[in-house]
Order: sequence, then structure tokens, then C-alpha cells
Amino acid sequence: MINMTSAEQGVEGLVTSNGAAGHIRQYRLDNGLRLVTAPAATGQVAAINLWYGVGSRHEVPGRTGFAHLFEHLMFEGSGNAAKGEHFRLIEALGGELNASTSSDRTNYYETVPEHALDLALWLEADRLATLRDGVTQEVLDNQRDVVKNERRQRYDNQPYGTAFERILAHAYPEGHPYHHPTIGSMEDLDAADLDYVLSFHKTHYGPDNLVLSVVSSLDSEDVYRRVEKYFGGIPPRETVAEAPDASLEGLLGSKSLVVEEQVPAPAVFIVHRIPPYGTREFDILHLASAVLGQGQGSRLYRRLVVERGLANDDGGASSDLFDFRYTQSLFFISMIARDGVSGSELENAIFEETAALADGISEEELERARAVLERDHFQGISTPAGLANALSGYTQLFDDPELVYTWPMRWASITPDEVVDCAKQYLIPENRFSLRYEVAPSETANA
Amino acid sequence: MTSLQPRPALGEPARYVFPKPTRVKVGSGTVIALDLPGQPYAAVRLVHPAGANIESDEYRGAAMLVSEALEDGVDGNSSLAPALERYGAEWVSRVGWDSFITGVDAPTKRLKDAVALLGEAVRSPALRPDDIVRRRDQLAERFRLENSVASTLAARAVGSQLFTGRYAVPLSGGDVYQQRLTPDLARSFHTDHIAAVTGTLIVVGDLSGVNLEELGAAVFGDAAPAPQRHTTAPETAPGERPRIIILDRPGSVQSAFVLAHHAPSRTEIDLPRAEGMSDVLGGMFTSRLNLELREKLGYTYGVGSRFDLRRDSGVFLISTQVDAPTTAHSITVTLEQIAQLRQEGVTEKELQAVRESHTVGLPVTYASAGRMAWALIEMVVYDLPEDHVDRLRAGYEQLTVDGLNQAAQEYLHPEDAVVTVVGDAESLRGPLEELGVGPVTVQNPETLWSAPGDKPAPSR
Repeated sequence: MINMTSAEQGVEGLVTSNGAAGHIRQYRLDNGLRLVTAPAATGQVAAINLWYGVGSRHEVPGRTGFAHLFEHLMFEGSGNAAKGEHFRLIEALGGELNASTSSDRTNYYETVPEHALDLALWLEADRLATLRDGVTQEVLDNQRDVVKNERRQRYDNQPYGTAFERILAHAYPEGHPYHHPTIGSMEDLDAADLDYVLSFHKTHYGPDNLVLSVVSSLDSEDVYRRVEKYFGGIPPRETVAEAPDASLEGLLGSKSLVVEEQVPAPAVFIVHRIPPYGTREFDILHLASAVLGQGQGSRLYRRLVVERGLANDDGGASSDLFDFRYTQSLFFISMIARDGVSGSELENAIFEETAALADGISEEELERARAVLERDHFQGISTPAGLANALSGYTQLFDDPELVYTWPMRWASITPDEVVDCAKQYLIPENRFSLRYEVAPSETANA
Repeated sequence: MTSLQPRPALGEPARYVFPKPTRVKVGSGTVIALDLPGQPYAAVRLVHPAGANIESDEYRGAAMLVSEALEDGVDGNSSLAPALERYGAEWVSRVGWDSFITGVDAPTKRLKDAVALLGEAVRSPALRPDDIVRRRDQLAERFRLENSVASTLAARAVGSQLFTGRYAVPLSGGDVYQQRLTPDLARSFHTDHIAAVTGTLIVVGDLSGVNLEELGAAVFGDAAPAPQRHTTAPETAPGERPRIIILDRPGSVQSAFVLAHHAPSRTEIDLPRAEGMSDVLGGMFTSRLNLELREKLGYTYGVGSRFDLRRDSGVFLISTQVDAPTTAHSITVTLEQIAQLRQEGVTEKELQAVRESHTVGLPVTYASAGRMAWALIEMVVYDLPEDHVDRLRAGYEQLTVDGLNQAAQEYLHPEDAVVTVVGDAESLRGPLEELGVGPVTVQNPETLWSAPGDKPAPSR
């Protein structure tokens, strides 16, 4: 083919080289569980990945942080597995396991030696079906403390650690499901009670709300039979939980906030509210974020790091998108000021560079942006665990696991004019929240 | 009605054998390659024996600076990354104490182009003075920024508490030494230790259609073989041990602490016994320390232990971040767990977990090209045999309770430890002194890495 875009070349090349695209299989059990299988690029392993369609967007005021706290409790024992046994069994097999919670979903995963696939499936099935038999007040109290320490470690004791929390609070209105971060507040964590834990599991954890992906060298029918064996006897939820209304109209408005904290240098965090993950406009703005701030060929890196020396060298990682599927997403920019550069000088420089996108971008810049996004996409799925995660994600959010290979095609047809049009519509001061950190005077002088 | 299956019995694991690498001599250099059919991305690494440990006083931080400055490419002005981006490739670099590693992760079908860029970036970079100064100043500033993260500062301070000489100063040289480097010093480090030396090229990926000799020629050019390396054991830092040093971070709601002491070098240590013992103590989620400090007491989000091993020495570390008011008790619990392991030894169940995780778990450990490349890098850096992964596996298979118990005696030395705590000194000092672990001193973090001629770091 002549004049292929880099996206087309990349997709064709990679699909051809590993032959995996044609081997994705999707099944649906009678209880609603969706299973996706795909071959692994390395042998003797099984990567298992579960996406439950529950996240912090399902939390109600006074219960923030609960989806994430609940994720912790899923490792603390169920009807037939003792506290800590899930971790102990998988670790003792050299397996790797963990979980994560976001606004949109909760994700559990383990990569194990292939002979341990049945055990991993059984453990996942057991905590899905019988968690309520294993969780105790003692466990809840302990994990509440652990999560509060996670919050301290990631937010409160970390320079700029509260930026994300402040961004959500200003980018989404009070009462909106995305107004708060998944970690929740200390007060709400303190208020979490056992009854609510039990009802949360009943409300959100059912096979009908689950996508399970298995990436291995096993035959897909074999994997299906095993999954049917362990999960087939688990009934769906009696009532499907209603997702809170996260619809949002209009622009963000023109907002800014300056906070003084014990930080090492002034820093700027900017968001623009943009259409949801999965829309063409999101894809266009994803390319715009790569043009602006991804890679050392990006505008912010070249102009503010290399040429003007205003910003700390982040290697070219100053812009990205927060990909929310069920509400407006966020176009995100962050940079830290160099010595002698004020926060407002850096902030204005970022404003100028962002605004300049509306003046035009070159085809060459767009090509580079496509290449960067493609690279990150394909690197992300180059390991069994990464592929399993992507399969679960695309299936849970879009009901199409093959997007894992075709997603980069979406960038192929986007033109510079479309990027400019979207920049004019969304990357404007009337749709912006800018958060600036300034260095607070030290309270305690060092002796 | 829920109907569940009984817990399945585990079948027999398939035996894992690390693939035998291919070696190709190209000019004065060697290419070591692993073929992974079907892998869409290849990991390419060029290993030079020019880690920070070879830096003389004048050159402290030069390896890190050169590593960063290579990203300016043959045209300068940060030109390398955008050039690689065109091929869907990404630059990789890492400076260790014993190695200087550069490389690319690249789609297999763009491997040749990406490796050609690697070759010219390493052999004939522009290294323009302006670029070097920009990189140097950014490195120095970034060092200070990163020190505002409590756990980073605690980890970086360990060397200064255990060693004199090069290990006393962080890998990058910190802001103090970076700012003393000149473009000429950086260029001469590059000329002598990188450009003139072939290094070893590691290629892991789908090698169908890949010409290894061609890749080697593109990267090695006419450089010379690496010179013979000599190791000299570093000297121990003065000061009473055990002791506690507090790096003051006023108002911290958590304390980050690292308990560290000396350990044997990579070649001296019996790795299966040492790491197995460390795993039991703090190397796994289900380790004793994590079960106690996190799962029982709820003081922390997590705690870990590990060996940091070099060619000439080693360090054993336990690291965590705890709720500030629990700092003293967390250290007590940590020391109690060490003492208990030394006195009572490990259980049969713990032995089994360690043994299995390092044997049947190997396919998981090596489930990516990058991780397999890392096993080959270890082989090159530490002069290990080609089958070192399989030998390690055999070592783990032969582990016994007695072996792990001996390792606890041999490799755990709390009496030699320094506990570095980054937190609010005003509230921590009293409780830490009451522990009776050893002398407690408070230090301003900004005075940790003074260069010769600077004022000595004040303690109080």
C-alpha cells in the first residue's frame, strides 16, 4: 500500500508479526460474565485480568473512597479463602498480582505460571461469590488504616500530592460522580461500616458486571471450559445497580486557584474539559495532547524546557488525557518551574503554547504524535499482563476486545484541521481550570 | 443459588529453562541475543562497564550527565528522542554503580533503523557545551525536587551513612557535584569510557530476518574491547552503629525510614539463600514485616526489604513509610522481626513459598523482552555464566530451612545498621531516643552531600 499513514503501517506490521488479532475469542456465560481470551507472546504463563464495572463514580456523598477501600477488602478473605490467602497462594507460585480502582471501574489481576490458572480462577470466583462470608469488622478496621496510609503516602505527604483531588473538585460540580478522587476523604473512610461493605458487594459484584480476560498459550475453548466451571455457578445480581447520572453540559468555565504549600518549586496543573473517552473528539484531542506535551519532540518540551528553560525537564511528559468513559474527560497539562522562574511566568507560557494549537499544526507534528501514541499503545499490550488488561478494558467500556489492535486506526484519518478545530473549541480559557502551587514560606527554619 | 467448585489441586508445573542466548563476535564487541518469536517489540541494550563507581572525585556525576546528554543526539538540541519516535521506538538509559546502559525498545520491523540511531547516538553524539550545561543544570534541580519526596530522600541518604568515597554520594552526584562538572569533563568521560569502548550489545525479540552482525557493526564501529575491571572494597563510613539519623522534614504526616547495613558483593553472596531469607522478612506481600506493619497494625501502605548488590560490595535495606506517630514503634517492630527471624528461623511453609516463587514462577518473571534482557545484562555486568538463571533456579530448588536460617545469621546485622528517618524531627526525636537503639542525630537534608572544601554537615 502506498501512502500509508504510520498508524496503518504500525497496525499492519504488529498484527502480522504476532498474529494475535485473529485469535481473540469472546464468550458470554449464561450469568452474563464476558470472557475474552488471547494468545500470550511468552510461554508458560497465564495472565488473568478482571474489570468490574464499578468505580468511584458509584459512590455517594459521605461514602467517598469506598470502591477503593472495597478493592482492598477483596484480598482479605472470602468464604473459602482465609485472610491473606489469595496473596499467599499466588505469591508462592511466583505470580504477580494486584488491583486498582478508578472512577470508571475496578480492576483485579494476576499473572501466574500456566499450571496455576485453575487456582487463580477459583480464587477470583470465590471472592466474587462469597466475599461477604469472609469480611469482618477487624479486617475492615485494619484496611481502613492501610488506605489512610496510602492516602498519606500518595496525596498528603507528597509534594503536589493533592493536585488531582483539587482538579476534580473544580472540574466537576459538587455532587457530580467525578467530583472526588478514588482515594476518598479521611472522614468518609472513618465512617465506612461493615453493613455498607456487604451491601456494596451485593450491589456491584456479580458476574453480569464482570469482564474476565485470560491471555495464555492455552486453547481458547479450554480456557472457556475452565471459566465456565468456576464462574458458571455464580448467579447474576438480583438487581442491576443504576449508574449515577454523570452527564455534563457545556464548558468548564474560566477558573484558577493558587495554593501555597511546602513544595520545592512552583508548579502548574491545568485541565480543559473535553468529550468522553470513545468519541472522535477525544481521539483528536489525544493527538493534540501528544503534539503539545508528549515526547521530547512536543511543543512544551521544545519551547519551555529546551529553548526557554522555564520548566523542569520531565522527559517530555507534560500533557495527557484523563480518559473518563461516562462523563466529560480532561485534557491535562502539568509542569514544574525552574529555579528563578515564577509560577505565573510558567503558567502564562503554557497558556500561550496551548492557545497556539488553534493557530495550526503541521502534518509532521501530527505524524510524530501518532507515532508516540501508537508506540505507547503497542508497548502497553506487548506483555501478557498488559494485553489482558487492555482486552478487559476495551470489552468493559466498549464491548469490543478487538479494539486492542484496531484502536490506533482511529488516529490515522485525523487531520491537522480537525486538531485545530477541537483546540478552538475546547482548549480555550473559557474551558479551563488552572491550579498553581507556590512555595510556602518555611515555618521551621533549619538549625 | 450459588454453586461453587472445590479448590482445585495444582498440577505439575512445566519446567522452565531460560533460553540459551546466541553470541556473535562483531569486531571487538559481542552481540548476545535471544530469539522470542512473535514478540512485537524488541529490547536492545548496550552495556558499558562504566557505572558511577569508576568516577574519580572530579568526575562524580559524569556518568549520569553523559547518559542524559546522549539524548541530545548527533544534532544536539534534544534531537534523539524525536528521531526514535518516528520509528515507534523509545530510548532507554540507565546508569548504575557498575554499568552504563543505553538502548532502545523498538518494533521488530524498525529494529535496524532504531539500532542505527542508537549506534550514532552513543559513538558520535554532538555533546554541545550548551546542551551539556542545560542537562547539568536540569539534573541538579531535579535532584533537589526529587529530594522533597520523603522516601526518595531516605533512600538516597543511605550511602552517606554506610560508606566513604563514591558510594557516599548518590549516583547522580547530587546537585553539589553536578554543578562542578564542566562540558569538557563530560566530553572526556564519554570519549574515554563510552565512545572508545565497544560494550556488549544485547538484543531480545523476534529475530527472524534480523542480522545480528549488522546490528553489532552499527553499534560497535571500530571501538576497542572493554578494559579489565578491578574491584576494591569501599571503606565504611565512620560513626557509631547502630544509630538513627533524622533528616528533618517539618510537618510530615508520615515518616519514611530505611534501615540499612552492609552486605556482601554480588559475586560473594549466596543469592538464593540471601534473597530467600529477605523475601521471608520483607520481600513479599506476605512477608513477616508486611503482615505485621500493614496487615496487623495498619501503620503503613507497605514495607519491603531487598539487597542492593554491586561488584565490590552490597547493602541490605528495609524501607517503608509509616503514619508519623507510629514511627518509633514501627522501628521497634522491624527490629523485633529481624531478631525473631535470627533466633527462631523460618517455617517450612515459608521455605516452600520462597522456593516455589523463584522456581515455578520463572515464566512470570521473564514474561517480557525487557525482563529477559535484564537477565542478560546481569550476566554481563557481574561476569555470570550463561546459564545463571538456571543455576539460580537450581539454588532455590535446593534451599532448606537450615540454609535460610544460616542466611539470617550471616546476612542480617541490625547491630551494624543505620536507620535513616525522613520526617518531622521535633516530634520524632524524643520517641526515637527512648527506643535505645543508638544515638539519634538530626541533620538538615541540604547538608548531606557536601563536596570537599564545603563546610561539614552540621548535626545537632
